[in-house]
Amino acid sequence: MKINWLKLAFAAVLAMAALRFTETATAQAAAKQKIAVVISTMNNPWFVVLGETAKARAIELGYDATIFDSQNDTAKEAAHFENLIAGGYKAVLFNPTDANGSIANVQKAKAAGIPVFCIDREINSTNAATAQMLSDSYSGCVKLGQLFVKTVGKDGEYAELLGLVGDNNTWNRSKGFHSVVDRFPGLKMVAQQSGEFDRAKGLEVMESILQAHPNIKGVFCGNDSMAMGAYQALVTAGKADVVKVFGFDGADDVVKSIADGKIVATGMQFPKKMAQQSAEFADQYIKGKRDFAQKIPVPVEIVTKENVSKYGDYGKK
Amino acid sequence: MRFTRGIIALVITAGVCWRFPLFHVVTRKTATAENAATTFNARQFAETFWTKQLPASLDKTVKAAVLLSAIQSDVATAKRNFSRSVGLSEGYFYFVSGTGRVVAVLDDEISLAVTAGSTNAEVSLQTGLIFGNTLRDGTGLLNASDYPNSQDFNDIAAALNHIVETRVLPKLRGQAKVGANISFVGCTEVDDESADLKPLKVVPIQTEAE
Repeated sequence: MKINWLKLAFAAVLAMAALRFTETATAQAAAKQKIAVVISTMNNPWFVVLGETAKARAIELGYDATIFDSQNDTAKEAAHFENLIAGGYKAVLFNPTDANGSIANVQKAKAAGIPVFCIDREINSTNAATAQMLSDSYSGCVKLGQLFVKTVGKDGEYAELLGLVGDNNTWNRSKGFHSVVDRFPGLKMVAQQSGEFDRAKGLEVMESILQAHPNIKGVFCGNDSMAMGAYQALVTAGKADVVKVFGFDGADDVVKSIADGKIVATGMQFPKKMAQQSAEFADQYIKGKRDFAQKIPVPVEIVTKENVSKYGDYGKK
Repeated sequence: MRFTRGIIALVITAGVCWRFPLFHVVTRKTATAENAATTFNARQFAETFWTKQLPASLDKTVKAAVLLSAIQSDVATAKRNFSRSVGLSEGYFYFVSGTGRVVAVLDDEISLAVTAGSTNAEVSLQTGLIFGNTLRDGTGLLNASDYPNSQDFNDIAAALNHIVETRVLPKLRGQAKVGANISFVGCTEVDDESADLKPLKVVPIQTEAE
């Protein structure tokens, strides 16, 4: 039998090419779909928990997940959205930087066919995001306001540290608190300043408030980072036992401070619950579900010294 | 030559600025009017809701006697059959109506016995300062998803509470004499079943002395 070496070599090359093609196709089919987790800032432990939990749940559900840190900068956030749209991500779990400024980014993703699920912070739109899971900050701060009056009393001076002024949570918290406290004319707010949701800024603002208003009896802080900063300023001023501090978030260090009697109360927001649910929503969307409620309130529970043993690790034990 | 170039540059710059102005001058009066037109007016919304949408839905309540009996039998079944909740909340609301006999008049509440032969306070009509979202969320008629900015939705809660405090409660306090029969429609929020069900704490929407 005469062997045609040329034909045999050609057949071998074809077989190898076919094998290589099959391998590539199989590898592509096995490649995981990607979910982006875009967080307003990773410079705050509460948001780190939010982002890391969302990422972990997305991975558990079988996706590749990446966290993008917007550093409280809408320009950086916009760049993240450009990148994730170009990068073939299938869904975005999104903690917006600005209720109005972030809408355009969500709309871009929507136009590219990518669903966006807002977590904790909202955007002022009902037709851009697929769903928005939002802590019921207002109701939580109504309850904190009632506790504030009960603890501080119906008379006296107090101060308020606001969060970022462009964020709806800042005002929902402030309005919920004031819907109660303003009904008591004897309670006088002598200072209301932004601590930008930041511990160092909260410390700095509280120091200046104490210089101008040494007789305050309480301080309501729009988040726990500022509450910790305010408490530090009070310790330095020797007023930690006199001025009652109230926070909001349910951060671990504040929950521990409540147990130690340093801070009076906080509103537990359940970041893990929201983050996990958002990843599950994204998974459901990718698998075909489309009927999501647009705004989904997540309840806030008040943590005090009396019930603090039930809480920890950013949720209920 | 240099002068001509300068003139050309100036003309081009003027043309670009005319086509794409760097700023617009708006009179304060116009700006205020535009702002008012786009700002959500929670008080106005609450007024329309109170006078039009709500009266048409007062027959969608569960009767207090039926609800109390259901709660007595099984809290979870009563919740499943008659309550509503919002979002991921474990708390829930009842939109409830009924008639009861006044058994006590306190500073911030009026206690009613509702079931036949009862002398216990089974319903507590709230008559102090009204806070929170019980009225807004309790009827099931308003939905957070309809409001782009949650601040607007929250302002509705405060506006409805104001209506209750100024229109419902003064009349109710006048009607509340021990032994009087009072019919009511209102909303209950249950956060803590051990504290909020016995008696049912009802924020009143409508009351009548019988």
